[in-house]
Amino acid sequence: MNIALLTSEIAVVILALLIIVFDLLMPRQEARRSLGYFAVCGLLGILVYTFNQHGASATVYHGFFVVDKFALFFKQLFIVATILTLLFSFDYIEGLTHNTGEFYALLLLSLVGMMVMASANDLLTVFVGLELMTIIFYILVGFDLRSSKSSEAGTKYLILGSAASAVLLYGMSWVYGFTGSIVLSEIAAHITASPAMLLGLGLMLAGFCFKMSIVPFHMWAPDVYEGAPIPVTAMLAMASKAAGVAVLLRVFLVAFADLQAYWLTIVSLLAGLSMIVGIIVAIWQTNTKRMLAYSSIAQAGYILSGLLAADAAGVKGMLFYAVLYMVANVGAFAVTTAVNNQYGSDKIDDLSGLSQKSPFLAVVMTVSLLSMAGLPPMAGFVGKMYIFMAITDKGYFWIAMLGLVMSMVSVYYYMLVVKVMYSKEAKNQQEFTASVSLRIVALISLIATLFIGIYPGPLAELANAAARSLW
Amino acid sequence: MIGLVHFLTVAAIVFAIGLYGVLSKRTIVGILMSIELMLNAVNINLIAFSRFITPEVLTGQIFAIFTITVAAAEVAVGMAMIFRVYYDRNTVHAARLDEMRW
Amino acid sequence: MFNQYALSHAALIPLLPAMSFIIVGFFLRRLPILAATVSVCMSLISFALSLGVGYGVIANNITVDNPLIQRIPWLSISGLTVDMGVYIDPISAMMLVIVTLVALMVQIYSIGYMRGDAGFGRFFAYLSLFASAMLGLVIAVNFVQLFVFWELVGLCSYLLIGYYFHKISAREAAKKAFITTRIGDFGLLVGILFLQILFGTLDFQQLASNVPLYVAEHGTNLLTIVALLLFLGPIGKSGQFPLHVWLPDAMEGPTPVSALIHAATMVVAGVYLVARAFFLFSVLPNAMEVIAWIGAFTACFAASIAFTQRDIKRILAYSTVSQLGYMMLALGVGSVTASMFHLMTHAFFKALMFLAAGAVLHGLPNKNDIFEMGGLRHKMPVTFAAMTIGVLAISGIPPFAGFFSKDEILLAVSQVSMPLYTIAVVTSFMTAFYMARLLIVVFCGSEKPDNQPHEAPMSMRIPLVVLGVLAVIGGYIPYANHFGDWVRFGSASHEGLHWGIAATSTVLSILAISLAWYIYGSGKVSPDKLSRRFSTLYKLSFHKYYIDEFYLWLNHTFVDGLGKILYWLELHFVEGIVNGIAGLPVGLGDLVRKSQTGKLQRYGLIMFGAMLILVVWLVLLSPLFKGVLSGGDY
Repeated sequence: MNIALLTSEIAVVILALLIIVFDLLMPRQEARRSLGYFAVCGLLGILVYTFNQHGASATVYHGFFVVDKFALFFKQLFIVATILTLLFSFDYIEGLTHNTGEFYALLLLSLVGMMVMASANDLLTVFVGLELMTIIFYILVGFDLRSSKSSEAGTKYLILGSAASAVLLYGMSWVYGFTGSIVLSEIAAHITASPAMLLGLGLMLAGFCFKMSIVPFHMWAPDVYEGAPIPVTAMLAMASKAAGVAVLLRVFLVAFADLQAYWLTIVSLLAGLSMIVGIIVAIWQTNTKRMLAYSSIAQAGYILSGLLAADAAGVKGMLFYAVLYMVANVGAFAVTTAVNNQYGSDKIDDLSGLSQKSPFLAVVMTVSLLSMAGLPPMAGFVGKMYIFMAITDKGYFWIAMLGLVMSMVSVYYYMLVVKVMYSKEAKNQQEFTASVSLRIVALISLIATLFIGIYPGPLAELANAAARSLW
Repeated sequence: MIGLVHFLTVAAIVFAIGLYGVLSKRTIVGILMSIELMLNAVNINLIAFSRFITPEVLTGQIFAIFTITVAAAEVAVGMAMIFRVYYDRNTVHAARLDEMRW
Repeated sequence: MFNQYALSHAALIPLLPAMSFIIVGFFLRRLPILAATVSVCMSLISFALSLGVGYGVIANNITVDNPLIQRIPWLSISGLTVDMGVYIDPISAMMLVIVTLVALMVQIYSIGYMRGDAGFGRFFAYLSLFASAMLGLVIAVNFVQLFVFWELVGLCSYLLIGYYFHKISAREAAKKAFITTRIGDFGLLVGILFLQILFGTLDFQQLASNVPLYVAEHGTNLLTIVALLLFLGPIGKSGQFPLHVWLPDAMEGPTPVSALIHAATMVVAGVYLVARAFFLFSVLPNAMEVIAWIGAFTACFAASIAFTQRDIKRILAYSTVSQLGYMMLALGVGSVTASMFHLMTHAFFKALMFLAAGAVLHGLPNKNDIFEMGGLRHKMPVTFAAMTIGVLAISGIPPFAGFFSKDEILLAVSQVSMPLYTIAVVTSFMTAFYMARLLIVVFCGSEKPDNQPHEAPMSMRIPLVVLGVLAVIGGYIPYANHFGDWVRFGSASHEGLHWGIAATSTVLSILAISLAWYIYGSGKVSPDKLSRRFSTLYKLSFHKYYIDEFYLWLNHTFVDGLGKILYWLELHFVEGIVNGIAGLPVGLGDLVRKSQTGKLQRYGLIMFGAMLILVVWLVLLSPLFKGVLSGGDY
């Protein structure tokens, strides 16, 4: 048994515990920002370490936990997302609570949950990782004690999330019962297309779709995104969703690969529905976070559609898309945070006049949104192209067409936001300030979005290698 | 003789009751209890499968222990959340949580 | 050592100016001194690297037949792989040196010329971006890379022509340039797509080996059409007839820009493209004929317009068009060597003349008409010397640079076609005449009393001197060092000078200059009288053969007329349909969002309902619907 493979997870746990300890030891005032920087530095170290694990492909605990390129790809994605989220939200978190150390520690522990999910190779590990992540998110969503929206969002998320977990578990129990195993590869070996098995599969699919906020299991997402503190919303949108994708891919492509014929049709319908509903409802939104929530539902549909290819090319597209989606969201949420720090609310109207007050942030927001809409030369275009190329090869032409049409519609509401930024007068003449770390994150997002869009080669190679390690 | 099917049937009934409770209970506390029912149905399932399908390895029973632990954590967070809601609005009725919509 | 480094890191040559664009454009826009320092330094390093590449090419014996190619995969999806890379052979090495040299000179010059301008930083950022794009174009390994940078230089040209965007004429000129070249670019793009369809690759090297096979198998008919479509791009970008109309208007930009972009580098991109794709054009005799005739006609036609223009920069612009025609003519008759040689010498002497013209305009602000100048030689000796060298070089007087390259072109043309040769010689005569006219009118004669000219500052004089030296020796040295052995297509040519042709053109040029002196300098003949005597011809030439007016008329009659019809259709049919379609998602969205009631148990109901449907579908129905939606055979 090679415990060394767990090093990165253990390190994150230790980091979280250290932060709690420091939070207790330090006098309040100093504890604030230094803890955040400490967390960021620690995560950077761990990120560097994970590159060390490349090339490894080994399992621990009787095949419960696997470290391969696929797992590493997602772990690095989660760590980067957490680092960037922390960086742009220092000011916000300070305004949110006095217990900043607690907040950082919880965020890190949810990161552990995601990392475990990425490596999970059996149903129990999937479940434990998923619950570790989700339960902590319940707390984080309700973390804003000043706002009744936050506790409402937390409660909704908790109730619906727990119920979805119960459904997922119920599905897992059936799968376990009819294959006699919970390890994914052994499930694949014993799988049969019996009704009980399909029942288990269907329940699990519903449970995963809930985590990824796929229509019609998305109902929680807009409310929770709107009520949660912005960094938590960002993590929910970027990392939690990606974690859902990671387990979904592993479970469905490793354990349930032989039942493809049964689940492909349903997945295609779910993906199509997500694209449609996410985009047409987003048109009506007036709250930036809620708008981004619907946009994330649509994006989840795009990502899920890559599963239809059920081969390395499709998975590569999904991984690529997950990264560029993360990068674009970082930019959008960073700008939302900056505006929230300024006005204390998340209305789309609050963005008005941003182009004059802070042209740089306006550009970042525009590029991020257009990337999500899939306009070249932004990264989103390439991501959509990879996914659609992969699935049209497998005959899902209609989904690709639907995706393209919906992309066009999405440009409409993204441009509505851009229009507010560029053509509406600012509400007041107050000086606009944003912290340096936030600007750096915004710049990173901008450069990464353009770079991936213009030169997708390296990232595509990385995603390709990760995707191939699943087989 | 009581066999696997009986256990599974009981579990299915408990699960259905829990699901019904989640959808129909008026207070959040009641909903949380219903969720516990659903999770317990899963436990019955797991242990029954463990006993009848894989008697020599205890996978299902271990799984059940994890489920119980996680459920406990969920309830703890849930209760804290209910306090928050009550503090904010003086009520724990699920239907009153509709500040955010559309 | 340095050669090897430069060769293996040739990608830095375009990347450094790109970095300078980012640094200057985003951070130093408001800090003129730093902005200029950064861009000049980057250009200097770029130039040094280019020189290194040049030496490396000679030292490592890299020839046009075994180029040095580096590639990185840029995009690869099933069925299409596109690389970005560096293509080094003597032709591109020569271009690298020319572009970086002229860019460097122009940037140094601009420090003085643009001093105090409000957009100083912006100007340098654009210049850097342009240099980067042009260099990227030069080292392109395939048509996609070439096209990307081709459009990018077009964009820079647009930005820089419209640099004084508060002037209406500048905005209009920028638009005109952009739209006119777009017409050509469209053809280029279609041509590139055809190549991809026909050959399945756009890589220069692979195409070069595939084209002869294709021709042997399928003949040349289709390929000729493709080649002519491709050639539309150069027609637009290199200002060939009939898309030359944008180039004279482009003089609305600052003069250093005219020197760099609209004389020395960007406009020759079209010539470069034809040379780069010569493996394609050279096997298509019909296409070559078209290129030669368009080149020859453009050369002669533009020269005849330059005869009567009064704006100093416009004269130079038409002479640029004319010289570009020369280069195209050389390509059309199959001599890459002559064309590239002339490209190089032209870059030197035309940049020199533009910069000298800039110095004149700097000394006499707000005066563009050459007849309002005069007698400047006393007050502006350096500028006068520079302009004189330029004029002698373009007229082809030995031993100036233009003599050698022009002679090479004339020689190549004379071996192919007599009519073309005649046109070329006549053009050469006209060129000498109108350039001498410019020189004499501006610098000789009597001083105008209300002019207060002053010599240009140091930063502007240095580039004049450097380019002046190059315009003198830039012809003989390459000639003596067997330029044709390196820059060529197919086997090397060792023609040397043909004394008869050289003598003819030199004598004609001297005659033309004397004639110009007789008319404009001696004071014995009144130019006004002459123009009245040949009033029809004069008017035709002065109004540029009414081509702009013709295009306007075309535009009014056909485009606007079509527009009116389409607008009517749009109003009555399309709008309703479009609004209807657009209303659909909006209305649907409103309906769907009403399901989001905020009540968590309602959410639960929908989710679990969906779950139930999903499970029922999976268990009971999915065996019936296997693969229905995939269209595949599962």
